[in-house]
Amino acid sequence: MNRKNFVVGLIFVILLLVPTLADAVSNSFLINTATRFVIYALAAVSLDLVLGYGAMISFGHAAFFGIGGYVVAIMAHHMDMGETIFGWAGTNSAVIVWILAMVFAAFIGLIMGFLSLRTTGLQFIMITLAFAQMLYFVLVGLVMYGGDDGLSITSRNVLPFVDISNNRTFYYVCLAILIFWVWLCRRIVKSPFGMVLRGFKENERRNINLGYAPLRYKLSAFVFSAAGTGLAGALWANYALYASPDMAAWLKSGEFMAMIILGGMGTIFGPVLGTAVYLGLEQLLTGWTENWMLFLGPVLILVVLFSKRGLFGWLAGGKSHD
Amino acid sequence: MTDTLSGSTQTPKLEILNLKKSFGALAATNDVSLTVRAGEIHGLIGPNGAGKTTLISQISGELIPDSGQIFLDGVDITRLPAYERAAVGLARSFQISQLYNDLTVEDNVAMAVQAQTNKRFNFWREARKDPSLREPARRALDQVGLLDRAGLRVSELAHGEKRQLELAIALSLKASVLLLDEPMAGLGAEESRLMKNFLQDLKGKYAILLVEHDMDIVFALADRVTVLVYGTPIFTGTPAEVRENEAVRDAYLGRED
Repeated sequence: MNRKNFVVGLIFVILLLVPTLADAVSNSFLINTATRFVIYALAAVSLDLVLGYGAMISFGHAAFFGIGGYVVAIMAHHMDMGETIFGWAGTNSAVIVWILAMVFAAFIGLIMGFLSLRTTGLQFIMITLAFAQMLYFVLVGLVMYGGDDGLSITSRNVLPFVDISNNRTFYYVCLAILIFWVWLCRRIVKSPFGMVLRGFKENERRNINLGYAPLRYKLSAFVFSAAGTGLAGALWANYALYASPDMAAWLKSGEFMAMIILGGMGTIFGPVLGTAVYLGLEQLLTGWTENWMLFLGPVLILVVLFSKRGLFGWLAGGKSHD
Repeated sequence: MTDTLSGSTQTPKLEILNLKKSFGALAATNDVSLTVRAGEIHGLIGPNGAGKTTLISQISGELIPDSGQIFLDGVDITRLPAYERAAVGLARSFQISQLYNDLTVEDNVAMAVQAQTNKRFNFWREARKDPSLREPARRALDQVGLLDRAGLRVSELAHGEKRQLELAIALSLKASVLLLDEPMAGLGAEESRLMKNFLQDLKGKYAILLVEHDMDIVFALADRVTVLVYGTPIFTGTPAEVRENEAVRDAYLGRED
């Protein structure tokens, strides 16, 4: 077992033990924090696929997070009003709603990616930001769905066989999804498709010269990443029992990016670690000062300056991104 | 076509017709026509800024000419997207190495092998464990003498080794036409000699357009040589003819006022 596998194993063992730990210190709040963390990690891992491997610096991923959340909230809202979609009783089924959230996010990702991927670099950052802001204002303008205030949800979606209204069970479900998603992303990164994606980051000119058409590869990764972020949004709405336009605000996109940079771009596992550190710092420092970002800034700068692959690169050593 | 036999021998592998490309007032490629026959090494020489790389970039599709045409096997490829040119048989090596610096040497070649297969859009298999990608890559590395470096990251290679790797990648593309942009750039005397022998071995197997600064090497390798000055071809002929030519001498001795 090498150093990298050890670090990865340790992260997931700790995550598995969180509920037990929460019981031991009889602090049920810990499970909530951990759930929040796992959901954010899912979004950050998804973003890392495009940002870390495809060099597509999307500043608009909050849009997909928001879409995922709103799909859940809007369906729940209609359910509460006694209206089911097409009169169908399964409107509250997690399997259906969550997949719908992913499909919807992927679809918006397809449009957004198709239009944005004509640009690169700074323009790409700006155009993705612009798209996300557009969606943000659309959500603010949705008066029938709460407008600025957002929508609250009375109960979580329903999964067969497991009761996710229980916080502890819900945590395990979120963790299982995160583990599956990390596994899937690793798989993609190592595949021939993933190698081409990395090629576009490493040397786009060479990639084109070898015969790889840029849009096809980048757009596929973008859409996949959007779906993952949408799923995170759906889980978030279930966790918080609430969806608001803030989910799609640019600040959220910035948070995802900060998590990736802290943890290590282009490592898939790194963003999981980065999320832990980001939310950990937030938790610790907000108890002390409102301006906790004042301390996050220097930490980010130090990480960027001293470790090419963030905290994960520092912990896992040279093989962190293979 | 009735005279298929003579027709096929006369159709050049690569043909460039009246190609023009300007950047503002600068005519980088000014009415260039040339042909490369199958199995031939066609040298392209000229002083700095003569437009050699610009010409190569138009053939490889990175730049689109303002006017003129490029034919490969008689098919017009002037406006074919750059990413589709490898598939029709064009491979290019770069004057300044264009490699995936953070991947291994073997990965770099495997990317070229993979580009030739139908596995490129596969999300599932593990690329680094696929023998159908790795074995041809290793063979190509062996061919250029880099096999013992296969596991290193490109950023750990010496300059000369990067040049060899560029060539291994170009060879892995199963191309029929090689566009080699100064393969000797920055090489030491011994490395240059090895590269020259290597190019000698390639002769006859590909149609090669060889851009090179070192005239001795071009004269030793090429069947025909085109001299480019300020974007305009001033002479095409055998190395012996080029050596004798008055206009070429003027261009190189700087008497062209």
